[in-house]
Amino acid sequence: MVRFKSRYLLCEIVFENPLSRQCIEEKNIYKTVKDAIVRAHGDFGFGCCSLSLAVKYLNAYTGIILLRCRKDFYRVLWSALPFITFLENKNQKYPCFFNTLHVGGTIRTCQKFLIQYNRKQLLLLLKDCKTKGERESVERSVLSCSLKELEGDRS
Amino acid sequence: MALFADLNIVNTSDTDRKRLQSLIENAAHLGYSTVAINHVAEFQGKKLEIAKPIAVTELYPSPPIVQRITSPHTRSYDIVAVLPKTEKLFHVACMTLDIDLICINVIEKQPFHFRRPSVNGAIERGIYFELAYSPAIKDSTMRRYTISNALSLMQICKGKNIIMSSAAERPLELRGPYDIANLGLLFGLTEGDAKAALSTNCRAALLHGETRKTALGVIYTVKKASATEEKDEGTPLSKRAKTKSD
Repeated sequence: MVRFKSRYLLCEIVFENPLSRQCIEEKNIYKTVKDAIVRAHGDFGFGCCSLSLAVKYLNAYTGIILLRCRKDFYRVLWSALPFITFLENKNQKYPCFFNTLHVGGTIRTCQKFLIQYNRKQLLLLLKDCKTKGERESVERSVLSCSLKELEGDRS
Repeated sequence: MALFADLNIVNTSDTDRKRLQSLIENAAHLGYSTVAINHVAEFQGKKLEIAKPIAVTELYPSPPIVQRITSPHTRSYDIVAVLPKTEKLFHVACMTLDIDLICINVIEKQPFHFRRPSVNGAIERGIYFELAYSPAIKDSTMRRYTISNALSLMQICKGKNIIMSSAAERPLELRGPYDIANLGLLFGLTEGDAKAALSTNCRAALLHGETRKTALGVIYTVKKASATEEKDEGTPLSKRAKTKSD
């Protein structure tokens, strides 16, 4: 079966200043990741990772990104991610770091993991809620994401 | 049961509690269940940190660069670590000093090579070697020294008794446990060894620190509300442990 197998790395970008999350874009992340690979593994690393390197999903509100690369070289990419210390956008540096959450073979497995992870984060937020209105909205979101999962399992 | 531990968060000044708190919160968010705060002591000055900022599982190591660690303060620390700078000190630390961790210098080129008898002696005594990774994140030349020192250690010890920890001073220098296990692959560890370097070896080093407080790891006392009660500790890690009751 001739099919290009790839690995999808689900990462969370943690910023020092949570407001700068809105400034991330696909092009910036792609450029940053490429630079980090060049610095850590040189030209060889860049050559083998750039085969099908792409940013597949980006969520600016939570800082979650999904990177794709070839299955044979995902370790090269993964080992370069801890060395990223800032993202650059329009000549402004935003200090951050990448936290890898999950490595999957398909987008669907990463999506399933992300749904469960988001649910756990919502439950944590529920603990920290101060006003009743916040509690209700968080509870509603928790219920809504679990319903979607059931539908996905049934179909 | 993959409990990850980060055994090196630098506490540079007593007054900066907020920074320490944010570091610890960040570590908890990333998935570490245990964190150790590092008190750096040079030669004769040692500090006793009694107050705890947050009540998470906290332990206090200290890496002194002293020649003799016979100060009475070491009893109150949970882990004692050394950073030897000369070959003689390294040999003495491996063989005879009463410590738990030996820090490997990652900031500069190691002036001496590791010797197999010293390293084997340390492994037999249950002492772990610690590699810090945050200089590698900060600077490119440090990265080269880190990798070369780590690889030379790996050649001799074959990946046994290694701990990886961040020497983090700011919350942005921490990295998640799976990322660090991957960095372990760069240093020459196998995949199982790299994961163990963060979880089981750390736990073993903590237990080794506990045996220093107890009677060679066989009995430890737990203070209950009013009276003291003796319990049996069944897993002695130090090879010098002798069973007194049996």
